[in-house]
Amino acid sequence: MVSKRVDVAVIGGGVHGCSTAYHLAKKGFKTALFERDYISSGSSGRSAAGLRYQFGTEVNIRLAQYNMKCLKSLGEDLHYPGDLEYDPAGYLWIAYSESQLAQLEKNVKLQNELGTTGSKVLTVKGIQEVAPFLNTEGMLGASFNQEDGHINPHTLCFAYADAAKALGVEINKKITVTGLISKGGQVAGIHTNKGDWEADAVVCCAGAWTQNIGRWVDLDIPVIPERHQILITEPVERMKHPMTLCLDDGSYWKQCPNGTFMLGVGKEEVKDTSFYASWDYLEAATERILPKMPILEHIRVVRQWTGPYGNTPDFQAIVGATPVEGFYIDCGWSGHGLQFAPSVGRIMAEIVNGEKPFIDVSMFRYSRFEEGDLFFEPACI
Amino acid sequence: MSIKLIKDHPILDFGHEEKKMVTFTFDNKEMKGFEDDPIAAALHANGIQVYRITPKTERPRGFFCAIGKCSSCFMIVDGVPNVRTCVTPLKAGMKVETQKGRGVLKSEEGEER
Amino acid sequence: MQTTEILVIGGGPAGLSAALEAASLGADVTVLDSDLKLGGQLIKQTHKFFGSKAEYAGTRGFEIANFLFDEIEKYKTLGKLKVFTNTTATGYYKEDGVVSYMVGEEKYGRIKPQKLVFATGAQERLIPFVNNDMPGVYGAGAIQTLMNVYGIVPGEKVLMIGAGNIGLIVSYQLMQAGIKIAGIVEAMPKIGGYWVHAAKIRRLGVPIYLQHTIKEALGNNVVEGAVIQEVNNCFQPVGDPMEVECDTICLAVGLTPTCELLWSAGCEMKFVPQLCGYVARRDPMMRTSHPDIWVAGDAAGIEEASAAMVEGRIAGLSAVASLNHVSQETFYDRSAEYHQRLENLRAGEVGEKIRSGLSCVCCKQWG
Repeated sequence: MVSKRVDVAVIGGGVHGCSTAYHLAKKGFKTALFERDYISSGSSGRSAAGLRYQFGTEVNIRLAQYNMKCLKSLGEDLHYPGDLEYDPAGYLWIAYSESQLAQLEKNVKLQNELGTTGSKVLTVKGIQEVAPFLNTEGMLGASFNQEDGHINPHTLCFAYADAAKALGVEINKKITVTGLISKGGQVAGIHTNKGDWEADAVVCCAGAWTQNIGRWVDLDIPVIPERHQILITEPVERMKHPMTLCLDDGSYWKQCPNGTFMLGVGKEEVKDTSFYASWDYLEAATERILPKMPILEHIRVVRQWTGPYGNTPDFQAIVGATPVEGFYIDCGWSGHGLQFAPSVGRIMAEIVNGEKPFIDVSMFRYSRFEEGDLFFEPACI
Repeated sequence: MSIKLIKDHPILDFGHEEKKMVTFTFDNKEMKGFEDDPIAAALHANGIQVYRITPKTERPRGFFCAIGKCSSCFMIVDGVPNVRTCVTPLKAGMKVETQKGRGVLKSEEGEER
Repeated sequence: MQTTEILVIGGGPAGLSAALEAASLGADVTVLDSDLKLGGQLIKQTHKFFGSKAEYAGTRGFEIANFLFDEIEKYKTLGKLKVFTNTTATGYYKEDGVVSYMVGEEKYGRIKPQKLVFATGAQERLIPFVNNDMPGVYGAGAIQTLMNVYGIVPGEKVLMIGAGNIGLIVSYQLMQAGIKIAGIVEAMPKIGGYWVHAAKIRRLGVPIYLQHTIKEALGNNVVEGAVIQEVNNCFQPVGDPMEVECDTICLAVGLTPTCELLWSAGCEMKFVPQLCGYVARRDPMMRTSHPDIWVAGDAAGIEEASAAMVEGRIAGLSAVASLNHVSQETFYDRSAEYHQRLENLRAGEVGEKIRSGLSCVCCKQWG
């Protein structure tokens, strides 16, 4: 079979893959994207799709500022005819201990200093004002930003994929990448179940599945998959309620624009990429959330699904070049990656193009694990 | 309004005489129906066909599949929205209401916020 | 956690037969049914069944249901069988085989079975026309529920859409209940149901509009009439639209298997038009690709209640056999008998569609 030729091959049709492909095409690279199933079928489409300014390190706050600015008008900017359901309903991080509250205060202070003026610390009374349905028992305070919110993760992926396609990117769905082509120690393309593609560079945006791909070039990329689950209720009329995260048990919930509530909880989970849900998660999430949000007592859960996180030792991403020339990775975003697609897609294109990234992301470098220079983000769950 | 029951059937005996008739309300109007019949069936017997109004286009919806699958017959029953009235048994004193839109959750005290 | 040897989801003809077969072999059986009453479509059927004596020939559907209920009571008394109505199975958790369910509208529960029979039946199809969502447009099953189960008048004058067996039988049932039929509309150039049903209806003077379709339901809030129109062989409208006086439109345009739980369980599924939708691949004993899951009745492909009951028997027998509760002799005797009965039911021209559909999803045995 005659192999095809592109400048860059992107592995993974999640939001990072789609955004990276779009930004590569904008720079004039002949790009092909490969997705094993359909666009958004992996962790992206399964994510809770929270969007926030509220981070606790300079790099993440700066990236978040760029993300949030882009996401506000992304549908128009990408000429996407559908609805991204961008919904700035606010995002509430609730502290149940003094140390949690102190950390939230520190985060907000840093956000304010770096120009995110919308973030603030709330007292319990303040919490009641922005989220009147909460039972505030046990809560000590919270951080809040009214401009945070959520988005539809599927249409977000489609918008980037369609925009990439409009710029000439080959979007290959239902094609499985089966190997990497190596030439002289350098990655020179990909093998798939539908033939080979030669490429000068390969960008791996395979999320929780990245480790398998790294093995083809003898890289032990420390991204461990971890199952996460989500529950969806029947729809009800919209209520005044921001996206809410409780730091005591990692329980979170939000109301989507169609009226359904999305619920989740922090829980010890299996370390694999399985898509099978468990009943004990259903019970744990509802048992934890109901006392905090008693108005949900009569609402019915109608769906439950899973999507894996890709966790690194410090729960922060790996972004950029690898020891293997021509092989770039953008992965390991644990549970907060979706919203970083605008900034990191652009940065990946800049890195492949040999430019200096518009925001310094060197702390996300691949070599940090070897160097023992782990990077901790306090606003990460 | 009289209840529309099939009186003489050549094959079936519905046993209407032995069933217990109870009183319930539909949009605050008192109605009668057989206990444990589906709410939707009792309403239909009372001549009520519109059970809810859809959220976006405000179209009337009523009985349709009768097996709890299609969500056409969602109503507010005793304050709880989205109840599948085709598979929910009628009880004495039930408060059945037309559901307009998606239904509103109410807090313990019954107040809407 | 609640446990059971055999869990049967669905208490229609297939599910009840599976449960009875399993209980008769000594297994501990639980049945969940989402409806308020057991029996599925069987309790709505007033026509006499065809076939042989084993298939209750000459007996009406609801009477057959009563026979099954009597047997069910017997095993309930013996403590071998538990039946929960108004209980909807809401999830199958593949990890550990647990089934979650909802009692009524709010109460949650779960049960861990060793073996499962999915006899979840079917759902009605809908066709597109203006105002097809208007109250007064009802599925044929829903109309039967109102009039044959609860004895409630579904309408004064009904326009029937579809001249397959269900359309013809329900039209006849409506007339038995004293309700007028405005006409029967069928897009195909000939009647799809059995001639004997059509003849009864023709004798009663009901117009059957072949090569016609419904264009619109008329009315403000509820159905006050309908517009129908002739169609050509390509189903394109020809001729003038015609208004029909009616207050109810009954859709008898086919069923599709209810298979959500089979998908959740990861059973191998296949789209088979002759069986009216996605169905699970199965071996001759109705076992799916999942070794603990069997399928029976309309959920396995749209057919008639007689075949559903035999399929249920086969699934129940095989599920219990997999627990080593059945002697080889009993297994082979019963299996041979049931397969012979199915073959008889599916013989001849009327069984051709089913036979060709089944040939697409049946495997000799799982590897």
